[in-house]
Amino acid sequence: MSSTLTEILIGGISRGAMYALVALGYTMVYGVLGMINFAHGEIFMIGMFSCVYAIGIFSVAWGNQVLLNLTLGIAVAMIFSAAYGYANERIAYRRLRKAHVLAPLTSAIGISTFLQYFIFLTVSRDSVNFPRFYSDFLTNNHIHLGPVQVTYLQLMILGLTLVIMAGLFYLIHFTRIGIALRATAQDQLMASLVGIPVNRIIAFTFILGSALAAIAGVMFSMYNNVLVFDAGYRVGLKAFTAAILGGIGNVPGAVLGAMIIGLTEALTTLQFGSEWNDVTTFGMLMLVLLVRPRGILGERVADKV
Amino acid sequence: MSRWRPYLLGILGLAAITFPFLWLVLQPDFQNNTVTVAWSPGHGLQFFDDLLPVFVVSFLVWVGIRAGRYWGWSDRLAKSHSWQSTTKTLGGVWAWIVMPLVLCGPFVLSASSTGLLTNVGIYMLLALGLNITVGMTGLLVLGYAGFFAFGAYLFALGQQNFPFFPWWLAALLAFPLGGLVGYLLGLPCLRLRGDYLAIVTLGFAEAFRETIRNLDAAGGDQGIIIKSYAMFRGIAGLHGGQVCYVFTALILFIAVFLVQRVYHSPVGRAWIAIRENEIAAASVGVPVVQMKLLAFSLSAAIAAVAGVLSGAKDGFVSPAMCEFQQSIMVLAMVILGGLGNSYGALLGAGLLYLVPEYLKLLPTTIRDNALLNAVVPVSLRNSLEHLSDYRLLLFGAVMVLMMLYRPQGLIGSSRRKTEMLNT
Repeated sequence: MSSTLTEILIGGISRGAMYALVALGYTMVYGVLGMINFAHGEIFMIGMFSCVYAIGIFSVAWGNQVLLNLTLGIAVAMIFSAAYGYANERIAYRRLRKAHVLAPLTSAIGISTFLQYFIFLTVSRDSVNFPRFYSDFLTNNHIHLGPVQVTYLQLMILGLTLVIMAGLFYLIHFTRIGIALRATAQDQLMASLVGIPVNRIIAFTFILGSALAAIAGVMFSMYNNVLVFDAGYRVGLKAFTAAILGGIGNVPGAVLGAMIIGLTEALTTLQFGSEWNDVTTFGMLMLVLLVRPRGILGERVADKV
Repeated sequence: MSRWRPYLLGILGLAAITFPFLWLVLQPDFQNNTVTVAWSPGHGLQFFDDLLPVFVVSFLVWVGIRAGRYWGWSDRLAKSHSWQSTTKTLGGVWAWIVMPLVLCGPFVLSASSTGLLTNVGIYMLLALGLNITVGMTGLLVLGYAGFFAFGAYLFALGQQNFPFFPWWLAALLAFPLGGLVGYLLGLPCLRLRGDYLAIVTLGFAEAFRETIRNLDAAGGDQGIIIKSYAMFRGIAGLHGGQVCYVFTALILFIAVFLVQRVYHSPVGRAWIAIRENEIAAASVGVPVVQMKLLAFSLSAAIAAVAGVLSGAKDGFVSPAMCEFQQSIMVLAMVILGGLGNSYGALLGAGLLYLVPEYLKLLPTTIRDNALLNAVVPVSLRNSLEHLSDYRLLLFGAVMVLMMLYRPQGLIGSSRRKTEMLNT
């Protein structure tokens, strides 16, 4: 395998890791509530923009401290995205939890359009550049693994994603809150009868997913160097496809699906050019749905009556 | 006080999380590639100022609704004998009153209004088609504009490559072919739960747009210009715009008639049964997958015909026809008008297309009219000029509010409301 091909594949895996962080939010909400949170992509976009705003505020407050501002920026982005995710759940979904499946979906699309155009109207109609001063040391420095070059940013994305996955796995399987979460996903009424605060658990799911999306958002804006109001829609669509591909509601499945999508995109870019990315991605989604309708790792879920 | 506390906290919270976006501006420093922010109250005030007319109108609507509920206007109207008998008699003869009135349109209206109304007709056709899947069968479709663009490109490519391919031939072909595409697309995902259809159709629309944008044979970004012979031409002393209007109206009437007939047939009953409870429907012997496929193909076919009409009217097709926004706009029309009610979909299409158009025209109307010019304050006039930018923001808000407070749409039965809220 030539070294350029390996580099392209590593690029694909890094993209896949970012999609995976977003896809986790979709899949967790689907696992708990059985609904598609279409506004999740916009939460990702909010994360991107709030990080840049936070960096701007900190650089006014105490100058351009690269590491400090970037770390605090990511933290602020997580807090903001989590707040938007919570507000989203509280305003648009909580009242519609028992409604027909179309109702929360429609209000999710409404929230998504609203947030996109809110940023479009208040922040910028065109794309904004990520302040390169803060990402240069990550994108310009390489590690040499034999003939292959990997940027610090790609390493950081992969490392962070791995750590988050491990943490999430631990959280879901070995902590009290994870047990409560799984119980809520199985049966809300029963969970509330044994004293699990169902509303808080659902809110927690949204907050957790949104914070992960914010991390992905900051990485993504550093990786591509642009922030634009409809980025959330594009990435959200890919991440959602990834979640379906891996089997929606299944946490490892979302990661696997995201990796597959990232690699497909990288190979498509190599073979046909990046403008065909959407075509191959959705072609693959159709194929997987034809062959294995419940996704690669999805288990057969019976409809709740 | 305690009653208002959650609302107060909510408003404070919203103010906090929207604070940076509204009241601060980003100032990129291109020299050092850094960024700073600056405090800019004018920025946020501008936002609220532009939305002022919306706040005023929504306050008035809220007061109207509260007053109506307090004095029980709508109940009394619905119960009153004269109202019921009027709607009953009108129900039988409305078609014979409305159809000639609509067909008279182009002969009394100006050319620009005729064109505007033709567009309304095309959107009504789209809303009618989408209503079959979303409203009647209860399946969400998010890439409806993909089928619209499919019809338009079928027509455009056909007239480019074949010696004789006028719009009516394209429309006749688009109906079965659009249906076929819908069938093939629906086949893998309609066997699953309803949610998958939404994402697959969305993916289809995106992939279709990227494909036609990248293929040189399909005109790329520029789109294709339709040869004039294939478009609407003047016949029998009418000019092209009038012919276009008349044919669009006729096709719309046929479509409404067709959809209503199907809706009241056993097939329509099966759709409603699927919407209400899929498992129950399957257990009493409704062929669920076939019925869903039929609904989806029919709505795809109608969208393809609308695409042909749009291409033949405007004289060009472009990848912008299957933008996501287009799909959302049609979906918003269906939801606003009333899910599951064909006339509601028509009303929604008319409102959502005409209101923004008139909002765009309103500032010039005020400027040209001396009396209005004197009465309407300058700030309100400025806000009205900016309001069309806020169109999609308001769509989003309206969609959420409709789902929360009136899930059955403007025209919709109360049965639909209970179904949407307590299934």
